[in-house]
Amino acid sequence: MDAVKRRWVPYFFLSPYMLFYLAFGLIPMIFSLYVSLTSWNGISEKTFVGFDNYKFLFNPDSYFFKSVGNTLLFVSFTLPLQIIFGLIIASLLYSRWVKWKGFFQLVNFLPYIVTPVAVGLMFNLLFDWQSGFVNKILLHLGLIDEGIYWLGDPLYARMVIIVMLFWKGFGYTMIFYLAGLANIPKDLNEAAQVDGASGMRTFISITLPLLKPVTIFIVITGIIGGFQLLEEPMLLLGGAGMGSSAAVIGGPDRCCLTTVWNMYDTAYGSMTRYGLGAAIAYGLCLIIACFSFIGARFYRGEPE
Amino acid sequence: MSPSLRTVFSTTAIAILSVFALLPFYIMLIMGTYQNEDLFTKIVLVPGTYLLENFKTVAASRFDLVYLNSLIVSLASTVLSVFVSAFAGFAFAKHHFKYKNKIFAAVLLTMMIPGQLGLVAYVIEMRYLTLSGTLLPLIMPWVANAFGVYWMTQFIKSAVPMEVLESARMDGCSDVGVFFRIVVAFIYPAITTLSLLVFLWSWNNYLLPLIIINKPELYTIPLGITALGDAYRTDLAAQILGLTLGTIPVLLLFAIGSKSFIRGLTAGSVKG
Repeated sequence: MDAVKRRWVPYFFLSPYMLFYLAFGLIPMIFSLYVSLTSWNGISEKTFVGFDNYKFLFNPDSYFFKSVGNTLLFVSFTLPLQIIFGLIIASLLYSRWVKWKGFFQLVNFLPYIVTPVAVGLMFNLLFDWQSGFVNKILLHLGLIDEGIYWLGDPLYARMVIIVMLFWKGFGYTMIFYLAGLANIPKDLNEAAQVDGASGMRTFISITLPLLKPVTIFIVITGIIGGFQLLEEPMLLLGGAGMGSSAAVIGGPDRCCLTTVWNMYDTAYGSMTRYGLGAAIAYGLCLIIACFSFIGARFYRGEPE
Repeated sequence: MSPSLRTVFSTTAIAILSVFALLPFYIMLIMGTYQNEDLFTKIVLVPGTYLLENFKTVAASRFDLVYLNSLIVSLASTVLSVFVSAFAGFAFAKHHFKYKNKIFAAVLLTMMIPGQLGLVAYVIEMRYLTLSGTLLPLIMPWVANAFGVYWMTQFIKSAVPMEVLESARMDGCSDVGVFFRIVVAFIYPAITTLSLLVFLWSWNNYLLPLIIINKPELYTIPLGITALGDAYRTDLAAQILGLTLGTIPVLLLFAIGSKSFIRGLTAGSVKG
């Protein structure tokens, strides 16, 4: 009797998760897959169109691959910067040489926890053509004669986004490197020092290789997270005002249109094409799956 | 280099980087204390005298209600998510059942799926259930949190000794009792870390409320901030003060919890 009863226990503990996942995770996902095969604006009847929405993703008018390219561009510039600076700060904080560790740790992590909407608006104000702090300082120092139109030029706008994402993200890598450093046995470094290795040498041949799993973790989560980028560029280029006004979808020449922004705009912004929006989401998922697969192979290949 | 020189050098290096991290906050804080017109003409570096005036403008937009909504959403999401994750984590870490490893692998796989995948249908589902006029649609997606389950499973596996669980059961403690009286006591660090993360994620969430919430009474902070821009397009200073006010709660939370947050991370997943 008791044994029969006990068999149900794990399912009892699992059931809340499973029920919520089924109701608000899995069912919407499957229904979205169906929606992606239809043409639908949410009001009139759905018409089944097969893979037309997916075919349209390859049409430049959908901006799908352009938005994926933009997103990859941002990730490939910001991630290395974040890794380098995160690692430097973490090693400094972990060394014996820095005072007020807790304080500096918190300060450098702050940008990561700020609401992304606020980050976008903040940089929008800083880089404003007319009233922005950056232009005012540059003018004051005499480095430029008239204000630079930061957010109106594709190249500058992309630069501002990279600076913004770097600023927001280096604290995140720092935290994970700090955790990684704390897990490296202290006697390894001490043994190397006893053998006469310099600090730099110990860092390169012992610390760095041992941090490799952390780095791979940061790269994978960085790419996945990067693909979900939305609020920061949206608010940076759209400024305040609900969502994005039609004039500034994706910034100048849509050079800063991210994939999720593209999805939002297609389904809920300037268009209400639910089917195409769902197809963009599934397309994005496929691309993330490819990166996760490659990442997982690296991850598994590393230890031993 | 002598040790003390090294300390000076390293601390200075960190301090310079920290200034870089803090500068945008500082400018934001300072700009909130000026009159709107001054922002266009002067370079503002020291606090101004217009803070109270700006504060009145923000208060007039019912920002307190926006705050309350965000608090409700984030607290409910956090409590439910942590509770449900710990429940599932307990099942995976300390029980045996059929297909356990396969189910766990499936949960891990869902971590890779971006949250936007089911979004279009989720919005329709919420309308169908006539929940779009409430805050519930903003809470539900956080409850089944795959990361939370993974996190709790790993932590319960290593932190809760099997012998303690077994002796409690010998003494006639029910399984639910074992969970609340014993497991919870062992996993406080994991609870703190996960709570901070879920609170942060739901507090900062923008896309879902942007699509679902259409009544100003239900706005959460990210929406409220952008709405301030609509109402006071010309009053930049008030809007900046709104930004600052919307950011303060999470800053406080992490200032208080950052030590245990990092301790939890170190003890948890990053081992590889």
